[in-house]
Amino acid sequence: MLTHNVAAPSSIRPILSYDCHCQVSNQLFFPLSPNINPGTWKANRKLKGCRLKASFWESIRSGILKNNTTQIIEPPSTLEKEEEPLPEEFVLVEKSQPDGEVEQIIFSSGGDVDIYELQALCDKVGWPRRPLSKLAAALKNSYMVATLHSVRKLASSEGDEQKKLIGMARATSDHAFNATIWDVLVDPCYQGQGLGKAMVEKLIRTLLQRDIGNITLFADSQVVEFYRNLGFEPDPEGIKDFRGAWDIRGGCLYVSQVLIIHLSL
Amino acid sequence: MAHKFPPILLVFNRPTALYSHRIGSKTIFVIHSPLLSLSQAMLSRGIVSPFRTPTFPFPTTTCKYSISDQDLESRGFFLRRTISDLNLDHLNSVFVAVGFPRRDPEKIKLALEHTESMLWVEYKKTQKPVAFARATGDGVFNAIIWDVVVDPSFQGIGLGKAVMERLVEELLEKGICNIALYSEPRVLGFYRPLGFVADPDGIRGMVYSRKQRKKK
Repeated sequence: MLTHNVAAPSSIRPILSYDCHCQVSNQLFFPLSPNINPGTWKANRKLKGCRLKASFWESIRSGILKNNTTQIIEPPSTLEKEEEPLPEEFVLVEKSQPDGEVEQIIFSSGGDVDIYELQALCDKVGWPRRPLSKLAAALKNSYMVATLHSVRKLASSEGDEQKKLIGMARATSDHAFNATIWDVLVDPCYQGQGLGKAMVEKLIRTLLQRDIGNITLFADSQVVEFYRNLGFEPDPEGIKDFRGAWDIRGGCLYVSQVLIIHLSL
Repeated sequence: MAHKFPPILLVFNRPTALYSHRIGSKTIFVIHSPLLSLSQAMLSRGIVSPFRTPTFPFPTTTCKYSISDQDLESRGFFLRRTISDLNLDHLNSVFVAVGFPRRDPEKIKLALEHTESMLWVEYKKTQKPVAFARATGDGVFNAIIWDVVVDPSFQGIGLGKAVMERLVEELLEKGICNIALYSEPRVLGFYRPLGFVADPDGIRGMVYSRKQRKKK
């Protein structure tokens, strides 16, 4: 069974800097040089209560727009040309509460997932139950497992952290040409903040950095827009080598819809 | 090769739990599933035949596929399931012959080493691969079939079907319920009899487009 790491002190984790720059939509959470002092986001609002958003993309947009103090990292202009390899684990968002409590949302592509936590998270989002052993095997056989953890630290108690799994996405791949993203989920209490978007973006970025050109996924109608805004085409045209097809044709790809059967196991 | 028409994402549609079946002229399904509505849906779509009691015992080993292993062997084709003895340059030539772009053999090797299931047909005379298909996935829940090819000189004699039937069977035996693949519209007729459906249920296949990002 996979277990999660004991929470390490935050000094070990790279806290990456933020530019106080509020821009909407396809901003990427891109790690900048760790030399710059990390700013903290004074959260004037409490963490949102548990509620599911009807329109995923709209909720992400509004989530980012609402808080002018949101720290969003601005991507450098030379994004396409030279990309630093993404660190395996880094802080995506850091919030400070008035009472001194600090909450960090940590992205990790290391794949350390507590199966029981994952099962609980799947229950929370309303997915059908799957056998734990199969879940563990699926994670083990996945090429990459990206997770979001929330780490809460009280100002008073030193070294006392609460770490909780709040999101996951995994990708299977043949390590060379194709990758498929499965099981993207974010805790309903943390939805609407752009975390799912950031997580999937990071996952894509890491896959691209490993030179896996063809990234696919299946999306139901409610989340097609979410992925479209991340750069996925629902209807690609051209096949065989998607990358090659674009270079030649220069157009969008088309693929018709697909049926997935979630058969209970 | 110009592709005027778009590729379709197909998914294998199969009843769950205990079942026995034969692909071929007679198909018998025993549906033992709590998902009765799903079975009903499939029945109404004509995908699943209603339960029939066999009147005489069917040997399970013969006629499981449209062409048996013995038939293939007698015609000079060997079925292979591993990367050993597979000449990647020859495979690359088959890819090119059907219109795939030529890919780096080292990358192909890497891809095949990390492919959980593959099936290919070797032609005894030339010792070259003439049909191929592989499936990647997590080995438990999902699998996607890629690179289904048959050498143009050997098309139309049932090799592609033989490879696909066995590959799907292998995946099902592992307990993988979600099997999907991307298909060009012109070969939908090839995949449908194998049990694949292009019918969406609100779920769409999406592909990441780097070119789109560059525009922004």
